[in-house]
Amino acid sequence: MRHRNPSTHSRGRAALMALLVLIFAVALAACGDDDNVGGGNESATQVAESGPVRGEITISNWPAYMDTGKDNTVNEFQNEKDVKVDYVEDVNDNAEFFGKLRPQLEQGESGGRSIFVVTDWMAKQMYDLGFLQELDHADLPTVFENLRPDLQSPSFDPERKFSVPWQTGLTGMMVNEQLAPDVRSVNDLFDPKYKGKVTMLSEMRDTVPLVMKADGVDVDEATKQDWLDAIDKLREAAESGQIRRFTGNDYNQDMTNENVVAAIGWSGDTSIIENEDVRWRMPTEGCIIWSDNMVIPKGAPNTAAALEWMNFVYEPEVQADIAEYVQYVTPVAGVDEVLRERDPALADNQLIFPDEEFTKDCSTQPDPPGSAEDRQEVTEAFQDVVTGRS
Amino acid sequence: MSALRRRLVPYGLLLPGTVWLLLFFAVPMYFMGEMALRSGSLDTGGFTFSWEWGNFDEALSGSEEQLLRSFVYAGLASLFALLIAYPLAYAIALRAGRWKLLLLFAVVAPFFTTYLIRTIAWKTILADASPAVDVLKFLQIVPEDGRVLATGGAVVAGLTYNFLPFMILPIYASLERMDVRLIESAKDLYASSAQAFWRVTLPISAPGIVAGVLLTFIPAVGDYVNALLLGGTGQTMVGNVIQSLYLQQRDYPEAAALSFVMMLAILAVVLVYLRLAGTGAFMGDEEESR
Repeated sequence: MRHRNPSTHSRGRAALMALLVLIFAVALAACGDDDNVGGGNESATQVAESGPVRGEITISNWPAYMDTGKDNTVNEFQNEKDVKVDYVEDVNDNAEFFGKLRPQLEQGESGGRSIFVVTDWMAKQMYDLGFLQELDHADLPTVFENLRPDLQSPSFDPERKFSVPWQTGLTGMMVNEQLAPDVRSVNDLFDPKYKGKVTMLSEMRDTVPLVMKADGVDVDEATKQDWLDAIDKLREAAESGQIRRFTGNDYNQDMTNENVVAAIGWSGDTSIIENEDVRWRMPTEGCIIWSDNMVIPKGAPNTAAALEWMNFVYEPEVQADIAEYVQYVTPVAGVDEVLRERDPALADNQLIFPDEEFTKDCSTQPDPPGSAEDRQEVTEAFQDVVTGRS
Repeated sequence: MSALRRRLVPYGLLLPGTVWLLLFFAVPMYFMGEMALRSGSLDTGGFTFSWEWGNFDEALSGSEEQLLRSFVYAGLASLFALLIAYPLAYAIALRAGRWKLLLLFAVVAPFFTTYLIRTIAWKTILADASPAVDVLKFLQIVPEDGRVLATGGAVVAGLTYNFLPFMILPIYASLERMDVRLIESAKDLYASSAQAFWRVTLPISAPGIVAGVLLTFIPAVGDYVNALLLGGTGQTMVGNVIQSLYLQQRDYPEAAALSFVMMLAILAVVLVYLRLAGTGAFMGDEEESR
């Protein structure tokens, strides 16, 4: 290229520049009418419309949260109600799912979904941002006939205006009873004896409240400072190497391989961990109770069929199939009687049908108190611990 | 007509690459840069553009350790990959005979399994009570009460393993086309085997080494999977921080700013590296190396 023709060269460069300018102009125009990324959808409240049940619906749920085999609940519903259901397992993480869907929700669209399943605090945030439709209890007779009394008025949605529980569960401790027999309180996880053999969940609303409870804080009345203090305690333990990692579901593998002898974990996971010695343990100071909820987003197509689906899974016979498969805590009363006939051991399992005595010290999963800025500050402090930032 | 066409051909050939670069590099970079200068929060009305240079400050403060660690881990992984890859590529290119294809296939075979699954498999291999770790303890490489998982060693090992083929293949390609008679000539001129290697083989394979190091180092710096799965709280890399900023804290501007800083840092390191290693070697400047 030593003997370039100068004129061709500059003409080519001019063409390139022109193309560049054009693309930038298009890019600018594309975001010109969107000076603001994010924000809510502040339009008026909207109540999910009922009506004749037919057509199609799409339901988004977490993986392994229902048997998707041949004789599953979806097929039963389709046969009985003449509705075609597209059941998608595309919720893996509350924050991630919301992040992905947010641009559509801001446009008043739901990406074709009629229902999705998210945890309490996420449902509340979505509702506060105006992304969810309200539910008329008259349209949900089966749900409110069978919903467990203790779930009728949770603090995040006292009148169950926008959420219907799908499953609920307990966050406590997963303990290897051979290697860590004396771990009974969350404070025992900070015992130097188990240095580097302990993991905690990267789900802030599970880990931080359990640490606060262990220190005698009433999590329902906890202040921002209580949250930050607990996070400081976690930071120290992480920096000293006491806490090996913060994990999602993958603590199961560490428990199976005995890399970890005690962890903060979810009650339904005992069935996944392939190690006879590992048991879920109720901390002496109590556990955290959470639920994942069905919600109907604004822009959802065919809300009539969505409401009917909610009623359907609240029939004890139908719910029994789901409970038998997922082994979390079912939100539907009367399922234990159905299951007792099928498998008495399941009906007596405290992790599936905990009695009041068993969960007497447990708290509903709390959200950090205060304004959005306060919440952001707490989230940031916790994430800094998880990612090891100083 | 034909003269005009001849003049236009190079631009025609450049066109697909240019459009690709603009659409999938320049435009996303523009959006990322613009996001990095926004302020606000998702919960209170969203992000608005406001020349918020403070995002860069905030993204950097507290993440210096992760940035530095990313470069150290990626550098170590590239070094180990080079030490493993060179003899292997040499053997495959010059000594494997009819096994050459099979061995090359073996190098690429792990790619048939996804990256994530392979990294998770390492968790089982390196589990605290695994035979592999027992052997390392026996050899006193790992202390008796020590472990491998959730240490820097495991993360570097994971990075080395995952990017190894990117090191082997370019080195193999540069050795494969080497004329072996050059080594014979060197020996005819009374060079020892070592001298022949240092003065003939190594310079000829230099382009492969430079390319291999770039292909290993750059993705390794931004990787977050190895640190997430094989590391602990003290082994996080800059990729983990960006992921947390973006998906958990939903602080898009700070995430964008940190991504920018990381890219600039990589660019600076790569430029220095190319300067030292010589672009001639990268371009395969044959006159210089032969």
